Amino acid sequence: MIKPKICILRSDGTNCDVELAYAFDKAGGNSQFVHVNELRTKKVSLKDFQVLAFPGGFSYGDDIASGKILAVEMVSSLKEELESFREKGGLIIGICNGFQTLIRTGLLPFGSLGKMDATLAPNDSGHFECRWVRLSPDKKSKCPFLQRIEDMGWYSVNHGEGKFFASDEIIKKVEERGLVAFRYVDEKGQSTQKYPQNPNGSINAIAGITDPTGRIFGMMPHPEKFVDLTQYPNWRREKIIKPHGLSLFENIIKFLKEGK
Amino acid sequence: MIQKVRVITKIGSDLKGEGILSDIHKILRIKSVEKVTAIKVYRLEGVSQKQAKVLADKLLCEEINQSYSINKQILDGEFQVLEIAYKSGVMNPEVESILKAASDLRIKLLAADSSFEYIFHGKLKKDEVLKIIEKLRLFNPLTEHIVDKEPPTLLIKGSLGKTQSIPIRKCTDKLLLELSKDKLFLNLEEMKVIQKYFQKIKRDPTDLELETLAQTWSEHCAHKTFKAKIILDGKEKEPFFTRLKKEALKHNKNIVSAFVDNAGVMDFYDGWAINGKAETHNAPSAIEPYGGAMTGSGGVFRDVVATGQGAKTLMSTDIFCLAPPSMDKSKLPVGTLPPDYILKRVVAAVRDYDNRVGIPTNNGSFHFHEDFRAKPIVLVGAYGILPKDKAQKGSPKVGDIAIVIGGRTGRDGIHGATFSSAEMTERTISVNETAVQIGNAIEEKRTFDAILEARDKNLIRAVQDLGAGGFSSAIGEMGQDLGVTVHLEKAPLKYQGLSPWEIWVSESQERMLIILPGKNLKKFSKICQKYNVEATEVAWFDGSKRLNIYFGKRKVGDLEMKFLYGGLPQRVLRAKRNFQFPISNFQFPKEPKDEKEWIKTLEKVLESGDVNSKEPILRLYDHNVQGASVLHPFIGVGMDGPSDAAVIRPLLDKPYGLIVSHGLSPKLTAEDPYWGTLWSAAEAISNYVVVGGDYKEACLINNYIWPFPDEEWLGKLDSCVMGVVDFMKALKIPVISGKDSLSATYRGSDGFILYSPPTLCISVFGKIPDVKKTISSDFKKIGSTIVLVGKQDRKVDLKVLPKVLDTMYKAISNGKVLASHDVSEGGLITSIFEMCVGGDFGASLSVKASELLLETAGCFIVEVDGGQTAKKLFKAVPYKILGKTTEDPVISVDKLFSVKVVDLEKAWKKPMQGIFS
Repeated sequence: MIKPKICILRSDGTNCDVELAYAFDKAGGNSQFVHVNELRTKKVSLKDFQVLAFPGGFSYGDDIASGKILAVEMVSSLKEELESFREKGGLIIGICNGFQTLIRTGLLPFGSLGKMDATLAPNDSGHFECRWVRLSPDKKSKCPFLQRIEDMGWYSVNHGEGKFFASDEIIKKVEERGLVAFRYVDEKGQSTQKYPQNPNGSINAIAGITDPTGRIFGMMPHPEKFVDLTQYPNWRREKIIKPHGLSLFENIIKFLKEGK
Repeated sequence: MIQKVRVITKIGSDLKGEGILSDIHKILRIKSVEKVTAIKVYRLEGVSQKQAKVLADKLLCEEINQSYSINKQILDGEFQVLEIAYKSGVMNPEVESILKAASDLRIKLLAADSSFEYIFHGKLKKDEVLKIIEKLRLFNPLTEHIVDKEPPTLLIKGSLGKTQSIPIRKCTDKLLLELSKDKLFLNLEEMKVIQKYFQKIKRDPTDLELETLAQTWSEHCAHKTFKAKIILDGKEKEPFFTRLKKEALKHNKNIVSAFVDNAGVMDFYDGWAINGKAETHNAPSAIEPYGGAMTGSGGVFRDVVATGQGAKTLMSTDIFCLAPPSMDKSKLPVGTLPPDYILKRVVAAVRDYDNRVGIPTNNGSFHFHEDFRAKPIVLVGAYGILPKDKAQKGSPKVGDIAIVIGGRTGRDGIHGATFSSAEMTERTISVNETAVQIGNAIEEKRTFDAILEARDKNLIRAVQDLGAGGFSSAIGEMGQDLGVTVHLEKAPLKYQGLSPWEIWVSESQERMLIILPGKNLKKFSKICQKYNVEATEVAWFDGSKRLNIYFGKRKVGDLEMKFLYGGLPQRVLRAKRNFQFPISNFQFPKEPKDEKEWIKTLEKVLESGDVNSKEPILRLYDHNVQGASVLHPFIGVGMDGPSDAAVIRPLLDKPYGLIVSHGLSPKLTAEDPYWGTLWSAAEAISNYVVVGGDYKEACLINNYIWPFPDEEWLGKLDSCVMGVVDFMKALKIPVISGKDSLSATYRGSDGFILYSPPTLCISVFGKIPDVKKTISSDFKKIGSTIVLVGKQDRKVDLKVLPKVLDTMYKAISNGKVLASHDVSEGGLITSIFEMCVGGDFGASLSVKASELLLETAGCFIVEVDGGQTAKKLFKAVPYKILGKTTEDPVISVDKLFSVKVVDLEKAWKKPMQGIFS
């Protein structure tokens, strides 16, 4: 069967593109690096892809706010391209800076391109955080990529602006519609507001969300940085059967191949 | 007209404002300030208020948690306002993004700027606020200023400076020296060689030509001391450089390129090679640690990329030597910055620059000594990977062109020293002369992206960094065999008003020079366009064997390459060795007499600067970007046990590992340059071997940071170099790259002189075929045996060391070692403590009091399953069984003391948590 094609979107300052492509390919995808300018000049079209993936990094230096400049670029110059990609059933994935970008385009949480409903604010700690945290997938989530994902899996976080924040009303809507995909959890598996298990102070410990269709997905921690055992700091002392980030990518590829 | 948009955080915390308030209350103890609000200010030039509103709504402000105002203050009430902005002409990396996003929104800005306004709430006078700002060092006057009046425009204007002729032919010796002292930093002999040359060709040099000679012949570029003939106590010795190179090239099994390129290159696997470089950026960091450390990182990353036909940077190391943050501020010499400020700012620089470029900083160290209070050491290392068949620079051919890519050229980094102040004022226009720059990480990152794509499409002949000496050094070096024609008017400038010589020697950051055949230009330019990288042809190789520099039609420089690169006379330097070899084993000032005193002593050792946990700093550095790390800086149950080296997998789909470690001990090299050097080198290689590395598959980088070499300091440097040569000889591995920085001296105007401790840093990098054979330092099992392997002596025994290293490597690669950790600062008890932290275990030990805190190099603490295994593994080398691991997290030493690991952990973690959390 043909491998699903993944567009790994690069811009100035993207820096987690290689490991994201590696994760998709390891799970059975066929990744291609595409610079946003290649979409703008129509040298490359999203039509040829099934997944549009926004990797981590510091797009345009995260100037003004993280992911902001790229979000403005997507909304102002690639709106139609994005709309038609979405209508044709393409999946849009954002990790870390990619999640920040999706939030700032408005694609997350409600798929309203051009209108922001939530934000990713500076971490409560006041600084960049590079550490490993535990996440559990949310049981009520409608996200189609969460089967067989471990509870309390380990993920790398690497960000300064990751606090999921919105008005009470929006948060309520996000929760009620089952849009929360991942939450930060403590050593007992309970979602937590405690630092550093919740590394940024995200409301309701929200680490990742989807839009109502489940086809647009974003998270702050990096599943792509744990798809090989040796990527995890304690691979020498803990018995881990499967790298915790890998299932997510396998599920995405499976979904594309089987439609579920 | 400039529109001024202010943006404020309306919901959620204002972290910047709260941080400043907390410092005002806690550090300054001023209670009259009730609250501080930080407001982001944007100045937008060339747009209407309506357009500014569109930009505010769509770009500058997010209404979920922010609000904005245009052209008026956003708050009201009783307060003082103070705005801090970058000085005109200093790179504000954010501006470019504002211009880009505005253009995406179809609004054309003429210019823009961003800054912060601080609102101090409470009953306060303006001068009180100014004092607060100054005391907290909320801005650095070298790069920033307090905005006291609205700028009429953000555009920097200026007219072209002229090229002048310098009448050198008729100068007396005295005048020659004066000319050199102010501008060129050459000695009389060198000045006379230049004078003679121009007398011979019957004209005076232009300012640009003189600058070119001064740059090319500078200590920084020509390494005159390392290439000088040394007369030690009357006896002639070979130059340092010759000695190092001779010995290194004897051990060339893995060398791909050494001493010739911007970084040393060694063999890796499957047709790949790895390269490494370490360099200091001490002088700029002493006066502006944030910009200095940033551009230090930037320069070393570029050195790695500008190796051969282009490499990818994989990781970075940061080594800082500073005065203790708690040092009494009255000891600070005039014109120096407080060490706690420097510490915070260099860490912030690594966080803001390395994280953005996407280079993991996963190895480094801190060394504290009061004598670093004037001139600290900021030593950055970087490591990369490149195809072996592209590891050599191609030689330019006639018709090849040189293209400058990346950042634009400005007045940054031209040292005020190069022209007298009167002339400088004349030329200063509205731009600030500044030796210090702020880096633009994203410019660097996209430039690297473009280079790697062009390399893989076989378009590039050679890549060169535009670092020290700028175009002068990069273009000159590349063209020294063939000759080159340069058109300086083509170089893209940040702003107008630069003279040709300034363009020629500017050290503006984030620029690289690409040499390629003319026919590749079109394809190359297309790649650059894709990555938003500016690319401009500035020179071509003409076969004239001369350096021909034009500004438009006018020739502003014309020098024979033979003279420029061959005319510098070798220096002859006298050295004397009239110092002792005082290094001795650690003695307790007074041995602790009971358990209570022991615990106090241990806490003191663990909280000391060189030993305490640097975890809070590593959490600020993105040490895991690129996803390649297989030995993270902190590991173990709580991920708080420190690692000895970094191990990464440069190719994600392969098991091959790159191991990087380093070692230095300023206090020991100061005590004794020879034995201190051996200690530093042994420490470096031990950190490499202890994680499972085979030292025979490693190469070394040496960095010398030394006070200005008078006869005595030169004698000491000679001993240091001897140490490095002896070390290579004993281990049969080469140094393949390095750098010397021989200006670690502070001279006050009052005659006060302070020498920074002379320091040698050895960095080690090498390869391992399977990263699964590397190990970590955290204790893994209860009841296993703790062994000390190696000879406990601060004078490293070069006969024993290779055997110990080999034994360790074999034991680890056979899978017999559960955990191992190097012994260094803080002695073996510190190593065992750190292994207990990682494993969440305790240790029951039987060790002599005198051995516990012995700071040896070349010794290891090893965890194996039992005494029999230890004997089998280590019988051929000195080893000792020290005790067992225990489930109860308590460290107890027979007859001396017993202490909870968690109690020691508090002392060990507290100092840096206090500064960084």
